[in-house]
Amino acid sequence: MKTIALWVRRYIMVYGIIMLCTFLMCLLFNPAAELPVVAFFGRIMVFALIALLSLAVYHAKEELSARAWWVRTVLHLLVLEAALLPLAHHWGFWQGGTDILVYAGFILLAKVLWHLADYSLNVRTAAQINEKIRNNRLSRNTRKD
Amino acid sequence: MRVTVEQIGREQEEEVVVRCHDPGAVWVGQVAEAASGQRTVCGWREDGMHRLRLAEILYFEVVDDRSFCYTQGAVYEAKEKLYEFERLCAGSSLFRCSKSMILNADRIDYVRPSLSGRFEAVLSNGEKVIVSRKYVADLKRMLGVHEA
Repeated sequence: MKTIALWVRRYIMVYGIIMLCTFLMCLLFNPAAELPVVAFFGRIMVFALIALLSLAVYHAKEELSARAWWVRTVLHLLVLEAALLPLAHHWGFWQGGTDILVYAGFILLAKVLWHLADYSLNVRTAAQINEKIRNNRLSRNTRKD
Repeated sequence: MRVTVEQIGREQEEEVVVRCHDPGAVWVGQVAEAASGQRTVCGWREDGMHRLRLAEILYFEVVDDRSFCYTQGAVYEAKEKLYEFERLCAGSSLFRCSKSMILNADRIDYVRPSLSGRFEAVLSNGEKVIVSRKYVADLKRMLGVHEA
């Protein structure tokens, strides 16, 4: 159940990031365009699903070393670009030569945002744990005194 | 607080059940420590077999299908597999921290996040080990960290 909740939370997070990036791209490069709302949200859902499925590149039997993690992160970015760019083109999110560079840049930005959001959550968790460790140690020392 | 001591037969396994309001309370940890501190595992070195109390183990690790117990100043080979050791230290301050390691929470100095989405735990002897995010929830539960 917890695993399902975790993946649903991740899905919503990816969905939000992709929607934001796609919306910004449309706003910057084609502000006059009318977005068919239902189709737009549906497509973003597919994008988010692909983005989540592509996380399979991180799967490993053993714990990943820091180096292996970086290698897979680059690989993940390549998989994302290879899967999302043609699909986005098919759905008319980008057309020309400059567009593809910008769209690829947005995918990179979305990935960076994902890792930053993840990291900031972990900073908070680490702070909570450290505070508890400190308190436990303090009360242990007080008892000894 | 009421303390109940029940005498049981030799054929039954001894156990301590703590009914409390806050599992993270210091006294709960002390009871668990006292109970788990009695448990021991066998560790082997060149000079023979040693009996190690769970409380003195920093972490237990499996490397190339061989198990090792790390204490403050020594490394011992153990016979237990990871899941056996995990079962052995249930209810103690040792918890699964990654696919191949069981870590003693009482020996963590502090933790810090890494970019790779995992946590690095700095132990009382200065050694650094990785805590997978998957198992951080167990550490939080063990320490009594409540979600805001």
